[in-house]
Amino acid sequence: MKLVNEELLKEFSQEQIVKLDAIIEKYRGKPGGLIPVLEEAQMVLEYLPIGIQKRIAEGLNLPLSRVYGVVTFYSFFTMTPKGRHTVRVCLGTACYVRGGKAIAAALEKVFGVKEGETTPDRRFTYESVRCLGACGLGPVVVVDEDVHGRVKPGKVKELLNQYE
Amino acid sequence: MKVFRSHLLLCGGTGCHASGSLAVKKALVAELMKRNLAEEIKVVETGCNGFCAQGPIMVVYPEGIIYMMIKAEDVPELVEEHLVKGRVLERLLYREPTTEAVIPTMQEIPFFALQELRVLRNRGLIDPERIEEYIARDGYAGMAKALTEMTSAEIVQVMLDSGLRGRGGAGFPTGLKWKFCSTSPGDIKYVLCNADEGDPGAFMDRSVLEADPHAVLEGMVIAAKAIGAHHGYIYCRAEYPLAIHRLNVAINQATDMGLLGQDILGTGFDFNLEIYQGAGAFVCGEETALMTSIEGKRGMPRPRPPFPAIAGLWQRPSVLNNVETLANVAQIILKGAAWHASVGSEKSKGTKVFALTGDVNNVGLVEVPMGTPLGTIVFDIGGGIPKNKKYKAAQLGGPSGGCIPIQHLNAPVDYEKVAELGAIMGSGGLIVMNEDNCAVDMARFFMDFCQDESCGKCTPCREGTKRMLEILTNITRGKGKEGDIELLEEMAGIIKDASLCGLGQTAPNPVLSTIRYFRQEYEDHIRNKHCGAAVCSALFKSPCQNTCPIGMDIPAYISLIRAERLEDAYKVLLKTNPFPSVCGRVCDHKCQSKCRRGKMDEPIAIKFLKRFITDNAPRPKVSPVPATRKEKIAVVGAGPAGLTAARDLALRGYSVTVFEELPDPGGMLRWAIPSYRLPRNILNGEIDDIRQLGVEIRCNVRVGKDLPFDRLGKDFDYVYLATGAHKSTKMDVPGEDLQGVWGGVEFLRAFNLDENAWMKGGKTLGSKVAVIGGGNSAIDAARCAKRMGADVTILYRRERKEMPAAGEEVTAALDEGIKIEFLAAPLRIEGKDGKVSGITCERMKLGDFDRSGRKRPVAIKDSQFTLSVDAVVAAIGQVPDMTFVPKDSGVVINKWACYDLAKDSKSRTTNPKFYAGGDAVTGPDTVIGAIAAGHQAAADIDADIRSALGEPAWEAPVEEKIDIPLIIDEETQEAPQTAMPELHGAQRNASFVEVELGFTRELAIAEACRCLRCDAEI
Amino acid sequence: MAKLKIEDLKKIKERVHAETALRDGERRAKITVHMGTCGIASGARDVMDALMKVIEEAGVIDVAITTSGCMGLCSREPLVTVELIGQEPIKYEYMDANKMRQVFKKHVLEGEIQTPFVLARGAEIVK
Repeated sequence: MKLVNEELLKEFSQEQIVKLDAIIEKYRGKPGGLIPVLEEAQMVLEYLPIGIQKRIAEGLNLPLSRVYGVVTFYSFFTMTPKGRHTVRVCLGTACYVRGGKAIAAALEKVFGVKEGETTPDRRFTYESVRCLGACGLGPVVVVDEDVHGRVKPGKVKELLNQYE
Repeated sequence: MKVFRSHLLLCGGTGCHASGSLAVKKALVAELMKRNLAEEIKVVETGCNGFCAQGPIMVVYPEGIIYMMIKAEDVPELVEEHLVKGRVLERLLYREPTTEAVIPTMQEIPFFALQELRVLRNRGLIDPERIEEYIARDGYAGMAKALTEMTSAEIVQVMLDSGLRGRGGAGFPTGLKWKFCSTSPGDIKYVLCNADEGDPGAFMDRSVLEADPHAVLEGMVIAAKAIGAHHGYIYCRAEYPLAIHRLNVAINQATDMGLLGQDILGTGFDFNLEIYQGAGAFVCGEETALMTSIEGKRGMPRPRPPFPAIAGLWQRPSVLNNVETLANVAQIILKGAAWHASVGSEKSKGTKVFALTGDVNNVGLVEVPMGTPLGTIVFDIGGGIPKNKKYKAAQLGGPSGGCIPIQHLNAPVDYEKVAELGAIMGSGGLIVMNEDNCAVDMARFFMDFCQDESCGKCTPCREGTKRMLEILTNITRGKGKEGDIELLEEMAGIIKDASLCGLGQTAPNPVLSTIRYFRQEYEDHIRNKHCGAAVCSALFKSPCQNTCPIGMDIPAYISLIRAERLEDAYKVLLKTNPFPSVCGRVCDHKCQSKCRRGKMDEPIAIKFLKRFITDNAPRPKVSPVPATRKEKIAVVGAGPAGLTAARDLALRGYSVTVFEELPDPGGMLRWAIPSYRLPRNILNGEIDDIRQLGVEIRCNVRVGKDLPFDRLGKDFDYVYLATGAHKSTKMDVPGEDLQGVWGGVEFLRAFNLDENAWMKGGKTLGSKVAVIGGGNSAIDAARCAKRMGADVTILYRRERKEMPAAGEEVTAALDEGIKIEFLAAPLRIEGKDGKVSGITCERMKLGDFDRSGRKRPVAIKDSQFTLSVDAVVAAIGQVPDMTFVPKDSGVVINKWACYDLAKDSKSRTTNPKFYAGGDAVTGPDTVIGAIAAGHQAAADIDADIRSALGEPAWEAPVEEKIDIPLIIDEETQEAPQTAMPELHGAQRNASFVEVELGFTRELAIAEACRCLRCDAEI
Repeated sequence: MAKLKIEDLKKIKERVHAETALRDGERRAKITVHMGTCGIASGARDVMDALMKVIEEAGVIDVAITTSGCMGLCSREPLVTVELIGQEPIKYEYMDANKMRQVFKKHVLEGEIQTPFVLARGAEIVK
């Protein structure tokens, strides 16, 4: 196996790269192997930046354009890192009117990120959604799979502190 | 293993031992020996079954009959009856405890009873992770039969004969697909399973894979044998981790047991199976795109031909079937083509699984025979629409499909009928939508989805969906233009014709189908910038205001209540409504049905809050408006429509005279609605204000009798005909001319003309009264009769939820002791000496759906019954009385006995001098509808006068600006609607004192605080 | 595992059938927790956990626990089927950990059906 690319080591650990190479090795020469490689690689690496795509392209002996084309085609793949937790603020009508907007503002302030972005420490990715159908609990914030109802702007920080 | 024909499981637990089970066992063994049954029937002593109080207990299998409290001396009879003669011995049967008797059986629950489980036959019954349990339910028997007893051609023939069609959406005959592939040359072929279920709202395939994965594997092996394939893929979306897990378990177990892999079941047939995880692209549900995706490329479709049967995956002959199709296969092979074809409709055989979602009570997965009526699925199996909302449409086939509206609830759901109605069967997503959904917004939602999922390979789909989405978005934002609908239709046609694959070819379907059924909604958005469903939020401030026919600023006055500025609140009411204290009592409050708070807990009590304002603030003073214009206008009919028009015209400087046939003005408000609902002083106050403006009201003048119709046209420049609908519809049954039979409105009018005489016995209705009908007039008549001391029964031919009367009125009637016979219709009125002596009715049951989406009542044979009554009030409907309009007047009366309006106007009749509105145009409608009609007519008359004279349009005088406070709570507690305090007891039943007492200040403010202020722009 | 032959399928069928239909009496009840995606999303996992715990606490060994897929009535999930030997299966709707504990203690151990939580009795398919 060739030497680990310096660039890649800035973002990923040596161990992750070894795992990646093993995945590539497993599917090398197998027809239709690209998508399973990408799926497994994303499990290990969490996201697939261009450097990783290059390594996969070389490993599978495919043009980089082909790998890039597939990564950008399927919604499952991401080229930017996602946070360890996904925080979704409901901005459906009922939540909006009951302070969803204020929650959103509080979140942006506390973590310094905008909708769709991830905190620099990759702890949270922040998204807004239209209606989660939990209007009776509004305003609603969903962290990963947990639904938190009747959230107050002042309590946002405390709420998120539960997630490391 | 020795086979017995029956097992007797006798409890040998401590409890049963104590109650004598050992003796029973001994007796059993002896009896079986005696009858030479010991070799056929096995006695098993079991552990305690926990039902010790009923012991000794014995269960007889395979029937599963349970006998209780058996004694040794019962044994000979038991053996003789059950085991020799095969009859259940009733006297020892297990008796249902009382609590259980009230629990329905699964088959008594319509959700389950109306389903036909074939594909889902194992759901909830087996552990999907134990292959043995699948085998125990005939699993892999179909595959064994196909591999050992059938040739490839025979398998194909069975599939062809069965009539099975692809359940993925297109409905292509499965047998034909297999036939093409089996005859296609090539030694390497593939069987593929499409488990890339991507339609929003569809989850049939996920459920099959999770509950019964082996059924799919078995179907694939049979398909492989049919086409000669030895390798297969299951393409499953990564979003279904549990399904993938269970598939993996199933594949491993099957491979371990030799049911997959090399030399299956020792037959020499090989078939290897892999799972391929989709990476999230809707287009990969298309067959050629799916194959491209397995090849490791961007999942884009390929042009066909060549078809996959010739050149599919890796350019080899391939068959792709969806999950549900494959799950059908094994049973067809096992039970035969005829078995499969035994259910379903002519061209669509077998069953279909639907994912029933949206606005329906029983969200879930249902399997029904093809051709089951849509209404049966939605209302009987699905349990109808939550919160008694009205069904609007069901979307079939997701973003590739179309909707089926209320008038087609009887449509049998099969491939042909669904296509004829403009939808597609699709994979089986069935999304029910109630009246709160907007057709345009729905089309926009699905187009947004398709546009987003278009792979971009072909231009019509890539660009076309984007352009169509743009137009739809504009319409929902109030930027629609004339011609948009036609442009959408034209583009839809091109995209359907020119797109490469199914995604593009079907993407325009939701738009075309909503235009087909809801074109007037599109027009309403484009022309009036109005969204009737209160969904397209750019078109209105708040849903309540949007829904009110006269657009009352509801959030404003609710907010002013909270700020305790009731005089300002009253002014807000009067801006749009001359009858706020009337509406605060008798309005049908459609506004509340769209209140957003209702989605959280219950809607705001808007009607009661309106009344609170008028009860507690002084009525703002009205000063006369001088007549500044020369035109004279006559209004015929002093009901809410006529009086509203008169008021508006007076405010604009016209001199107005209102002619009323009856002794006092008010129309239905006075002559139909009883005073316990609307006290007369309240009504008089509002009418006095209109007089105060300068409007002259001349009562006791019947046009056509006291004043000739043509004189009106000569004495006045314009005439507004607001003559209402004051004649009861006849029931058309024998005996209707007997003494003691009243029409609903005729009785109420007679009663309200002289309430005192009726209450004091000067006039009498009868002691036992039958009221026919389910509308507000029927309830009003019944409650009046009850107050006179009569024993009252209402007869209605449908069920309570179909009654057009306001729900609270029905409840009040029941509270007051009025009986309601539902599902009963009158046949004839019985008489004696020319007077009513009874009414004979027949029972009804509910049949299929009528065009209004209600089930049609159908008479039950020989179900007649007679009620002994001495009065009958027939309140089944009202029509206008148009006898006063001369034939040569130029005012055309249509077949519903209503005024016909000119094509280009909302109020002008066919004679340009005459305008019309209210019930006399629409048929019986609401107070607020009549007020809206009055506003419309006044605006039209004024605009027509001015435009004829070349004058500029009227400008309303500058009004005092009322500042509306905006208080939004950061936190709102869930709280139900505040209840209206009511009068109770004897005082209520025997008097005409108002029943609803009105909110107190505290109640009103608490209720006002519940408002979410949807109008606020933050 | 040994590879099966055709005749083995029949044997498995008979054996398992005997296991599920002609029970050998060692169990007093079978409890099925319906665990499709919809069931799990509405809390079937909690119900299962509570059940395992309460069984352990009660020291009961003659109750079989199985899982199964979606029953179709997703809006009433989590659903649990309790089948006491010789009695009709009872299906409970809208279950949660507390209700599960109550059903186990009252219905499974004491034979008292918890009517307020019941959806229906009997099987969906009449065999």
